[in-house]
Amino acid sequence: MARVRDDAIRWITRRHAHDGQAARLGRDRIYILPTRAGYTLLGILLVMLLGSINYSNNMAFLLTFLLVGIGHNAMWYTHRNLLGLQVATLPVPPVFAGQPLGIPLRLSETDGRAREALVLRVGNRATGPFPVPGRGAETARLELSGQPRGLYRLPRQRLDTRYPLGILEAWTWLTLTPEIVVYPDPIDPGATLGGTGEDEAPASTGHAGDAPDQIRPYRPGDPTGRIIWKAFARSGKLHVREAASGQGDRLWLEWDAMPAPDTETRLSMLCHQVLAAHAEGRFFGLRLPDQTLEPGQGVSHRDSCLRALAGFRTEPIELDPEPRS
Amino acid sequence: MTPAPTPADPRAELRGLDLALVALPVAALPHVWHQPLWITALVVLAIATRAWLLATGRAAPSLAAMSLLALIAGGLTFAQFGTVFGQEAGTALLLVMIAFKLLETRNRRDIVIALFLGYFVVVTTYFFDQSILIAGYSLLATALLTAALIQVHAGRPLPRRQLARQAGTMLLHALPFMLILFFVFPRVEGPLWGDPQREESARTGLSGELNPGDIASLLQDDSTALRVEFTDAVPPPRAQYWRALVMTDFDGRRWSADENRSVIEAPAPDDDDRVTRYTATLEPTRARYLPVLDYPVALPEDAELRANHQVLRDRRITSRIQYSAGADLVTPPGAGETSLDPQERARALHLPPSAAPRSRAEVALWRATHGDDDRAIIQEALRRFAGEPYRYTLQPPRLQDDTTDQFLFETQAGYCEHYASAFAVLMRAAGIPTRVVTGYQGGAWQTRGEYLRLRNADAHAWNEVWLDGEGWVRVDPTAAIAPERIEQGLTGLARDTGEEIPGFLLRGEGLSWLQRARFGLEDWGDFVRFRWESWVLAFDPERQRELFARLGLDPRDWRSVLIALGVGFGSLALIAFVWIWLRRPRQRRSPADRLLQRLSDRIARHDRSLARQAHEPVDAWTRRVGRARPDLAQPLTTFARVYNRQRFAPLTPEQRKDQLDHLRDLLRQVSRGKPAAPPAREHA
Repeated sequence: MARVRDDAIRWITRRHAHDGQAARLGRDRIYILPTRAGYTLLGILLVMLLGSINYSNNMAFLLTFLLVGIGHNAMWYTHRNLLGLQVATLPVPPVFAGQPLGIPLRLSETDGRAREALVLRVGNRATGPFPVPGRGAETARLELSGQPRGLYRLPRQRLDTRYPLGILEAWTWLTLTPEIVVYPDPIDPGATLGGTGEDEAPASTGHAGDAPDQIRPYRPGDPTGRIIWKAFARSGKLHVREAASGQGDRLWLEWDAMPAPDTETRLSMLCHQVLAAHAEGRFFGLRLPDQTLEPGQGVSHRDSCLRALAGFRTEPIELDPEPRS
Repeated sequence: MTPAPTPADPRAELRGLDLALVALPVAALPHVWHQPLWITALVVLAIATRAWLLATGRAAPSLAAMSLLALIAGGLTFAQFGTVFGQEAGTALLLVMIAFKLLETRNRRDIVIALFLGYFVVVTTYFFDQSILIAGYSLLATALLTAALIQVHAGRPLPRRQLARQAGTMLLHALPFMLILFFVFPRVEGPLWGDPQREESARTGLSGELNPGDIASLLQDDSTALRVEFTDAVPPPRAQYWRALVMTDFDGRRWSADENRSVIEAPAPDDDDRVTRYTATLEPTRARYLPVLDYPVALPEDAELRANHQVLRDRRITSRIQYSAGADLVTPPGAGETSLDPQERARALHLPPSAAPRSRAEVALWRATHGDDDRAIIQEALRRFAGEPYRYTLQPPRLQDDTTDQFLFETQAGYCEHYASAFAVLMRAAGIPTRVVTGYQGGAWQTRGEYLRLRNADAHAWNEVWLDGEGWVRVDPTAAIAPERIEQGLTGLARDTGEEIPGFLLRGEGLSWLQRARFGLEDWGDFVRFRWESWVLAFDPERQRELFARLGLDPRDWRSVLIALGVGFGSLALIAFVWIWLRRPRQRRSPADRLLQRLSDRIARHDRSLARQAHEPVDAWTRRVGRARPDLAQPLTTFARVYNRQRFAPLTPEQRKDQLDHLRDLLRQVSRGKPAAPPAREHA
């Protein structure tokens, strides 16, 4: 049944191009149908009409037709509650495997009409109802359950609304593709911490090298552990201690050195090592069977390493919002 | 198709319930006057309980308890009315059901159902009351119900003002739909089932019997019976006799109307100019008679003329109706005929043998004096009434024995019914075929709205006598005793006799300003009511046919209906489209920016390259122009300075206004500069 429904939606939406990073809701992609409450009201109006005819009561006719007008116009109101909205992806904060995912989407309004009671759905997960102010924007966060390590595509999204009367539902299907990265769950490889490199001394958990440290001004991304707080207290300026020779203190995190047989455990251990090395402010590189990341330092280097681990030997796959537990 | 709904958040589920607890009682309020007290008490109790539960954050009662309560309430309703169907019982059940639905409300669906039923409650109000006040009130109730419905679906608590605006706008936008459907939706003659008339509460109207001994209850009734608009000239008051019932049969005390006569053709008016045409709006009487102006010639389509010249509609009048007819004020029915049908003559002469012996003796004397002269006999009778000791009074003594003799020779005081009855007896005793006619006479001319308003108090009785060759001639014995009654209505009578009569009859001069204001207000009220009734409430299949016919269409033909609907909604869509297009969002520019644009346009008129580019800061642009046109350099530099201050400096409104004026000045200065003259400096 779900398959048939899925195929039907795909057939209906086949004329729409993939949205990618942003979409604007035009008339060609907003659908509208009565809800159950809508059919109930229709029934009530029918009874009222029959009563009006039976009793030849003109005021009953007037009220019935007034409600017919309201019901008809609700179609327009509900449709316009979606029309003209812009939906765009925002960077998805990466998580570790198993941690709940929060996917932010930005809805912005440019027509000057405030929107009410929008609901954003992926599979059986929904967020909302939330409003979007006129000439403003609102960030909706889709909360999804934890996923295994990997790169993901968000399945088709549905933005819908029943505002104002709940007798009609207008909706649109979105195919926004924010980049979703799930890092491996870090596993401490134990005592064997510290990868070894062929051209250097074994890594230790302590401060690196014997050479005297170099002091240089703080740059964004430097690990906080290396900030010289005493100097900061005196001068008010942030400085960091840097290993005298990056070369000498270079640390290689090796795929082959991980004490585990299977891929996922190895990735998890490497993940732990990357985090540990970053926390210690080490200058480290990552060597995977099909990829080598040259030694570096800082948050962005850490993130590239983690991303390489997340994407190891895998292509982005469609995220399953309702994983079988 | 719809994905599973969001997991229910209890607070979100009950959002809007507070407003529903206000809107539904408002919708139900008009029913308080039409329902047994215990229903009102039950509804109030249920709603108050729910409001208390909501305010204290308690859960709704269990379903089992509610089912029991609902069963009890249903039982009570049945016990009260003996049924759960029909207007009153059905409405009672509806109210009780809504109250319980609110009480047990636990999610959004329950609230929505209760609100939908609230619309139904509003519509049931019209069983009892169709006044314009109720119309306005139900508009308010509908707006409140709609606002509650919006709040239920808004997803967040909306500000009251926004809710009110949204609901109001929705109602406003629905009005054109309402009007188009109201006039175009094909109407059929009801009812589709059952007999709704039977349930309608009794209305006052003319009685099918006339008994001079009874109390004149109708004459105390201020409510409107009939309103009339004349197409052309308004006939004089003495000619305004509205015939309703014709009574030929007399049993010695009581006259009764007979409807079982054959249908005859209405006389064709021989001269169309002489016909007085009018449109009447008649309040429901639950009888079939149509009051028509004497003597009727042109009749409405659904009415027929009976052999006794009584006009009957083809069915009982259970709701307010409107009809158009015409009258020939001069020629009575039967004019030109030399003799009356013998059977008819016998009926119109019949007197019970024992009735009115003294009167008969009196009439025998008249006959002896006047011989065959019927007219002289009539004059004799009228003369008798005209002088003392006969009195016209609305509070006559009760009559017990032979009503005619007792009235004529003892009490000698009465109102139209007494005189009409006694006159008929006298005429019949003299051998002149006579009948009694009841209807309305007089009425109040409403200058506001130009229509005649006849109250039930304007009911009147008079006679028609048969004269060979002249037909059934109208004779009004009341005119003999109290001519003011005929010329000015009961008011004139009251002035002359000083009799105590109901206060509402006092109109005209000699009133305090307070009374005048009151009557003025009443006239206004009746005018508004009349317009509402004649334009809205009286619209029926007949009126719809007339409306369609004016457009060359016919509501019984579905193609016509489609055309009308298409034209109606088509023009509506066109108007909506133009409206939306006119109000499309546009970039609003500040006054300073508009002046800047005009300045640039003005300068570019002579050299296009000098137009300000979109990316160009204002002072950069003025410097550039100043280099090419040194003659304009001075005002332009000032313009740039003032412009920048206008846009970016914090200014008081007065300063802002001054500076705008300054910019306008500068623009004028630049415009005045002779652009054709080459700048002098270049040549120097």
